[in-house]
Amino acid sequence: MTHKSLAQGGPMIRFFNRVKEAVVEFLKAGDQVARSNAVGTIEQELEELENIFGVLVLGSYVGMPAPPMQLSLDLMPLMENELILMMEKVDTAHEPISQLFSVFDIG
Amino acid sequence: MNVFFMGKGGVGKSTSAALTSVFLAQQEYRVLIASLDPAHNQSDIFERGLTATPQAIAPNLAAVEVDQEAWIRVYLKDVRRQIQRTYSYLTAFNLEKYFSVIRHSPGLEEYALILAFEKIQKDHSHWDYLIFDMPPTALALKFFALPSLSLVWVEHLLALRREIIEKRELITRIKLGTKELERDKVLNKIVEQQKQYQRLKEIFENSEVTQIHLVLNPDRLSHAESMRIYQSLKEIHVPLHRTVYNKRPATESCVDIDPVFAHIPSLHFPYSETPLIGMKRLERFLKENEDEMNRELGVR
Repeated sequence: MTHKSLAQGGPMIRFFNRVKEAVVEFLKAGDQVARSNAVGTIEQELEELENIFGVLVLGSYVGMPAPPMQLSLDLMPLMENELILMMEKVDTAHEPISQLFSVFDIG
Repeated sequence: MNVFFMGKGGVGKSTSAALTSVFLAQQEYRVLIASLDPAHNQSDIFERGLTATPQAIAPNLAAVEVDQEAWIRVYLKDVRRQIQRTYSYLTAFNLEKYFSVIRHSPGLEEYALILAFEKIQKDHSHWDYLIFDMPPTALALKFFALPSLSLVWVEHLLALRREIIEKRELITRIKLGTKELERDKVLNKIVEQQKQYQRLKEIFENSEVTQIHLVLNPDRLSHAESMRIYQSLKEIHVPLHRTVYNKRPATESCVDIDPVFAHIPSLHFPYSETPLIGMKRLERFLKENEDEMNRELGVR
């Protein structure tokens, strides 16, 4: 066996390395899936909180009671994401039960 | 020292503020009189075309008039510029069209006055007295209540935002195994607002830096409104420093009308037969009431 082939490993070693990498990738993906599932409900909760925050601060634009105008106006330039979220929420606002079912992965 | 002249419309807030300013300037204090009243009577009283830039009226005395509309315009322009810079989907929200309407929204008038007040304070902090001629009661009370009212909202928004950040950090930590390092811009802004309103609240509540002079006349309506002003200020912990009993008849005193004001120092201006317009008349009136002015406002 030459010096070079030792460094690269023989066919068996290469095979085991490939298997090891595949197992590691599989476990990593599994870990990612488990982590995503674990935070799914918290993410929904976060989205709701962000929506409430958006409605509280920018509610005057849709006829809701709102803080003093200057508070809304000062925060408005930083709240593009909340505005997008609020607009998205308008679509699901009429189906809260179906949204709840999708959060708990029912059906 | 900030001195605010408040009271019912027509009681003589502007004249009382002008007389006090001239008197203090005569005592060699450096005095700036600022009109926050959109009616802008100071121009007429001093017979000058006053603007937002301080104009010398007499030795040690300068005057400015705050253009409330201009402050609203500048403020909204700034907000719009920031939105245009940070939003990628501005047209989708159709926010542009709101800005022409927002300038007429309730609440912006008093905020414009707050911005003007902060600017005057910052630019003229080295003056001995900043005298503010306030607008009539409703707007003046909103001006003083704005910091306390805004703080109630700010504190609730701050708590909600912290909860959001906590959840966001939790998600990032579980998903990526690291903590979110980027500071939340919205949180930063709310903290900044909290500091601003806290500072203003402290200024208004501290009798060593702020004095409220309540101007009233010897009539029942003015007196009833003064009582309401006194109660409203009390509710937001802004102390009343002095009552200015303007157009006082020779035989009557403020204390005779209501004992509530008995413990508050009062300055009495007698009724003047001639209108107090122009520097000469103001000075003559002060000369005629020298003892009262010296006793109440003191001499260096």
